[in-house]
Amino acid sequence: MSGSSPSPSADPRDQPERTSLAWTRTLTGMLAASLLLIRWLTTAGVVVLPLLLLTISSAFGILATQRTRLRRDWRGLARRSVPAEVGSVVLLTATVLALGLGGVGIILTQ
Amino acid sequence: MGNDAGAPPGDVHDDGFSERLRRRLLPDGDDPDPRLTLANERTFLAWTRTALALVGGGLAVDAFTGEVWSATERKIVAVLLIAAGVVCSAGSFYHWLLVERAMRNRRAIPLPLMLPLLTVACVAGTLFVLILFVNGLR
Repeated sequence: MSGSSPSPSADPRDQPERTSLAWTRTLTGMLAASLLLIRWLTTAGVVVLPLLLLTISSAFGILATQRTRLRRDWRGLARRSVPAEVGSVVLLTATVLALGLGGVGIILTQ
Repeated sequence: MGNDAGAPPGDVHDDGFSERLRRRLLPDGDDPDPRLTLANERTFLAWTRTALALVGGGLAVDAFTGEVWSATERKIVAVLLIAAGVVCSAGSFYHWLLVERAMRNRRAIPLPLMLPLLTVACVAGTLFVLILFVNGLR
């Protein structure tokens, strides 16, 4: 295989952009899933409103840091060291868990 | 492979809460090849989207299938779907953490335990919904 050009996916320079797009897809999905809660807004507003606020603020909070993260990842690639994105990963997991557990609570109490 | 010792002041390495959390969850080892870190993050995000599809699906079942199933059947299907989503989400975080730790310490990457679990859950869920449909036709 000597002399053949590497596949496009082997190019490390597109990795930050692919990761950034993956975050955007996930956060869009989370917003879409959380909007289903509007169905129970009139009957369980006390639970629905805080859940909606949590998911929307988490999604936009993470989205707001996307540009900074993209620049950091590009710099990290040049340095060959990108720190793991622990804060956003923990926040996203906590929000999805809250959405799921809150959803179960709403469904079981209706 | 660098670590934090060489990070310049004001860089993202010292961004407060996130960095403290990082030191707590990933206390040892060195940052691996950046491509591996980013690939692990994308895998976590793909699993999280699967979890969100299950949670959203569960909410949608309870919200929109009132004329298809009884309240009890609807609640069972919805809660099972959301529970699978919650397990998937927690599992995706745990797997991301295990892989990150393994890469930082040059150990073998652990296999995803969620893959067989999710397969079993999908088969069981499909059979359950099939039984509900067959019972509804009688």
